[in-house]
Amino acid sequence: MNVTFGKAIGDALKEEMRRDEKVLIYGEDVAEFGNIFGLTRGMLEEFGPKRVRNTPITETAIIGSAIGAAETGLRPCLELMYSDFTTVCFAEIFHCVAKWRYMHGPEYKLPLVIRNAAGSANGAGSEHSNCVESLFMHAPGLIIITPSCAYDAKGLLKSAIRSDNPVLFCEPKLLYQVKQDIDEEVYNSDYTIPIGVADVKREGTDVTLVAVGLMVPRALEAAEKLAAEGISVEVIDPRTLAPLDTETIYNSIRKTHRAAVVEESNKTSGIGAEFAARFQEDMYDELDGPICRIAALDVPMPYNIPMEHYSIPSVDRIVESIRGMMN
Amino acid sequence: MEYTKDFLVKIHDDLLTTRMLEQKLVEIYAEGKVPGHIHSGAGQEASYVGVLATRKPGDYFKIGHRVIAATCVLGNPLDTFFGEILAKKTGNAGGRGGVNHTGRLCDGILGMSGTLGCDAGIPVGAAMTIEAEGRDNVAFFFVGDGAANRGPVYEAMTLAADWKLPVVFVCINNGFAISTPTTYSSPVPNVLADKAAGFNMPSLVVDGTDVLATYEAAKKMVDYTRSGNGPSVLECKCYRWRGHFEGDQCAYRDGAVTEQQIEEKDCLKLFEQKLVEQGVLTEEQIAKQKADFDQEMNESIARSEAAPEMTPDEIYDYLYV
Repeated sequence: MNVTFGKAIGDALKEEMRRDEKVLIYGEDVAEFGNIFGLTRGMLEEFGPKRVRNTPITETAIIGSAIGAAETGLRPCLELMYSDFTTVCFAEIFHCVAKWRYMHGPEYKLPLVIRNAAGSANGAGSEHSNCVESLFMHAPGLIIITPSCAYDAKGLLKSAIRSDNPVLFCEPKLLYQVKQDIDEEVYNSDYTIPIGVADVKREGTDVTLVAVGLMVPRALEAAEKLAAEGISVEVIDPRTLAPLDTETIYNSIRKTHRAAVVEESNKTSGIGAEFAARFQEDMYDELDGPICRIAALDVPMPYNIPMEHYSIPSVDRIVESIRGMMN
Repeated sequence: MEYTKDFLVKIHDDLLTTRMLEQKLVEIYAEGKVPGHIHSGAGQEASYVGVLATRKPGDYFKIGHRVIAATCVLGNPLDTFFGEILAKKTGNAGGRGGVNHTGRLCDGILGMSGTLGCDAGIPVGAAMTIEAEGRDNVAFFFVGDGAANRGPVYEAMTLAADWKLPVVFVCINNGFAISTPTTYSSPVPNVLADKAAGFNMPSLVVDGTDVLATYEAAKKMVDYTRSGNGPSVLECKCYRWRGHFEGDQCAYRDGAVTEQQIEEKDCLKLFEQKLVEQGVLTEEQIAKQKADFDQEMNESIARSEAAPEMTPDEIYDYLYV
């Protein structure tokens, strides 16, 4: 069956809410409106107004209340609409959500998920197009997940909802409508994907390309093009950015001896900056060359669509960057 | 209001132990035993004790950074309390949290944020659990007059009011946000209560140094909220006897006013005078109680000092557990 990334997220929410009455969703415009991208349509009718709740525009209270609800027994899966709005409640996520269990002790469990629609969306502009993973990778205690396909999105969101640790769940907006062919029986089998486990999306022998979110399909397309030139690229999707499955990545680097990271967010202090630093610290002897960071240009996302596209890594730019590594 | 002797004795117990704990924290800080900072709540105890006397099992509490001894009123054992403050493994977070993070969830304590006000939504979420489980409990949010100016407090009040959740917002107005007086920081005399109407919440303002007056005002608001009418606001007026933290010389305020407040508005002394006059307790009983609790605290502190500290191999514990 063909399933869109967006439908997979909606199905994960519904299945978890049917499975466990403690699960509830809330956020801005999730009820009657069914979420700004239509992901939660029909859920108000199925689960009622106490488990599918609209909030006023009160991001700090949305996050704060999720902590209070989670530690006292509910399993809130809330959404902040655009990932950019995490900055409105940055302190609540950075100080409270991430540190709560550490600061208060093991008695305090925090089964909450913060869903957010991330990245560019053709003309959404500088404040509705950000990827925020790297901002929050600086907050130990927070699990950060960015899936890249419908199958992973469903299985990872279900795991996130079942986790007793807080999860920031980033959903690349441009993937919402992307379809994936998934075996129907498997799709409906209540499968989950473990947190903290990367996935080798394509095997290769020359370069390890760690790709995040929207960049995974682009990395796979680039790998196909490069294969025609005789360059074999192994594409790894970390899926969970924190804590990171370094074992899978390092096993690949031991094989390829070259590594690159591709992401949709800005290059400076981005995901690639952290990953590259870490890989060279741990794997210096295995590397035959510098680690390449492929990322968005260091500009606020331009509103002009051709310039928006120019600022984000394209398939061609990934191909050129990898080709450059081989020379 | 008529009170039973048992009730008055219990209020006195809580007031006395809270005062003595707040003073003990100052004492052990001066002795160099506390790694962090102590924000003494001396003088403000009646505001907490009066409000907490309205509680029932199953209620939740988001306490503030001042009068952390209130956690002991709620059941936090002395060894857990001092263990966390002295950063020992016997503390609730094994010394990872510290002075602002002592308490136990099993006592209904929700935890607190050292970034004051960021935790305003937390009792709102606890109230969602209360609502989902159909209980007649409430969640208390204690905030000072300083953090009461913060946006998250008003977002939390908006959400609680929109969803008609059982949250009692309690502002402990001690007159100062570190050095800034409320006369400077607030356009209205009652920092939170004067804004309650904007959230369609009832409110009361009370002398927070009068423990029974505080209890009675709190009871009105708590009864209203517990009965399913939605959130309410209580503002307790009191005075911060000491500096924001130990070491603060309070050069920004008139020392004579502080002395007068301590002399005339000592919530414990005033209450004890009343109890002695009414024959509820004798001065001898009170003196013995003080001596006994002092010994109890000292023994707990001695045990806490002797307790082990966490080691490097334990530093990642409680992350991703």
